[in-house]
Amino acid sequence: MGATVTSFYFLCFLAGLLLLYYIVPKSIQWVVLMAGSIAYYLLSGNGILIIYPLLGSFVAFFGAYMISKDDKPKVYLFLTVALLIGTLFVLKYVNFISNTVNGIVGWFNVEPVLPTTSFLIPLGISFYTFTILGYVIDVYNKITPVQSNYFKFLTFGMYFAPVLSGPIMKYREDGEQFFKPHKLEYRNITFGAQRVLWGFFKTIVVSERTKLIADTVYNNPTEYQGVFVFLATFCYAFTLYSNFSGCMDIVLGISEMFALKLPENFSTPFLAKNISDYWRRWHITLGVWMKEYVFYPLLRTGFFTSLQKKMKDRFGKKKGKQYTTFFAMFILWFTVGVWHGGDWKYVVGSGLLHWFYIVMGELTLEPVTKILTKVHIDPKARWVDALRVIRTFLLACLGFVFFRANSFNDALILIKNAFSSFNVSRLFSVDIFNMGIDPIEFTIMLVSLALMIFISVMGQNGSVRDKISKKKLPVRWIIWYALLFYTILLGYYGPGFSASEFIYQGF
Amino acid sequence: MTREEVFNDVNEVFRDVFDDESIVVTDATTADDIEDWDSLEHINLIAGIEQQFGIKFTMGQVVTMKNVGEMVDIILSQLS
Repeated sequence: MGATVTSFYFLCFLAGLLLLYYIVPKSIQWVVLMAGSIAYYLLSGNGILIIYPLLGSFVAFFGAYMISKDDKPKVYLFLTVALLIGTLFVLKYVNFISNTVNGIVGWFNVEPVLPTTSFLIPLGISFYTFTILGYVIDVYNKITPVQSNYFKFLTFGMYFAPVLSGPIMKYREDGEQFFKPHKLEYRNITFGAQRVLWGFFKTIVVSERTKLIADTVYNNPTEYQGVFVFLATFCYAFTLYSNFSGCMDIVLGISEMFALKLPENFSTPFLAKNISDYWRRWHITLGVWMKEYVFYPLLRTGFFTSLQKKMKDRFGKKKGKQYTTFFAMFILWFTVGVWHGGDWKYVVGSGLLHWFYIVMGELTLEPVTKILTKVHIDPKARWVDALRVIRTFLLACLGFVFFRANSFNDALILIKNAFSSFNVSRLFSVDIFNMGIDPIEFTIMLVSLALMIFISVMGQNGSVRDKISKKKLPVRWIIWYALLFYTILLGYYGPGFSASEFIYQGF
Repeated sequence: MTREEVFNDVNEVFRDVFDDESIVVTDATTADDIEDWDSLEHINLIAGIEQQFGIKFTMGQVVTMKNVGEMVDIILSQLS
């Protein structure tokens, strides 16, 4: 069937599962979800790898159970976290360490000293590990109900819709709904299907086209300069956004059809006014996870508490506080970068670069406000905010250069090339159509992109589906059928099309 | 301590942490109401409150308290 949720077979699978879900007795609806999730995982990739999520869920379930019952909860917490993180680490990061060490000794002309491995990595391991790990820690902190049935916990931990690309769920907020009875409701099915359709539009109409331009430049980094690097990077920013957020629309839409509400993962991130704000709008559930399970506990350790005290004594209250948090944030952002993959391009592009942005933002806030006031510019003026949005987008794009480039070196080449030639006029020449996309496709891309941005911005002031549902029947039908046919007819199926792959699925 | 006294002390900590003498918190005050109350300041606020009252919040309380009212309830329950 292939792991992708945009394939035809997946839609058949989904329809069958939905039918079964609503005809079985309500008390065993979750069993249908569990069976469906196992079947989906088996069919998604290398079937045998299902052993990882099955065992991982068992470790989390059993660990949490012992934490809640035993008088040594700390020991069980440590063991469970070590097992789950250990598995993730061995599968995903052993090569990262080997490659880094070998790279460093390579500078001194020494042969590689550490072996590299080639493990088969189970799909979605970074996502489901975080989901089940959060549950274990919450049980330790006594803020979540404890699930005493392994199969029910498995249903939550392996639920097929988010298992491969998130969102990262929290048992204390999203878990119990899986085991409640769910009546078939017209609104859930229609609203869910509408959201799925919107997700399809974003992925196969928008993302698949912007991707072509990005790929053309990023796969030939030495051949493009100046404005073409900028264009490809902007295209990649929208590729990643429409692909990942579109995938989330599909995942959340499918869940809505099963009467399950999953947490949102995006909220118009490219309208963020600064990088902190951006991370509250982009991959929201990862940010929340990191905040609750890494950042807060880190800052509350004895080490950081005493460090803050020392720093305050040395640098004064404000600066002392700031410097301590910068240090804790360094660890946080390193972790965020590493989570994205065992490669320095992720550690820098999705981690440390963003740490640097936030630190610089904090340090320059006061002087910039002072300068603005001095030259009689209101720091809260709308146009200043607009400039902040553009700045934040450009900063995020610099991170995407590392994220997308085939290697860390390629990223450096592209950044150098971007500023090596000022060739804006070529943007309006035929050269633009030599970037893997012809004039017609290019036009479709622009129109679809504009439509996506327009609807996303509209969605900021309340659900667009709600607004449409209040319109008269013919209007509603025209809107949804237009979107359906637009997506089917203009979906980009490319040469050798095998249904779009979701970029975040690799994590 | 009465609830009102706790509230007054909590208010002082808020003013101190956010460097803003105009802050007046109520039961319903949340992070949305105070511009600088982000995840960084949340921990500073928690540390400030702990120091003020000589108590210790659990990690669970730190991540689940929804507004100042809940915070005051936790403080009162720990003081009693």
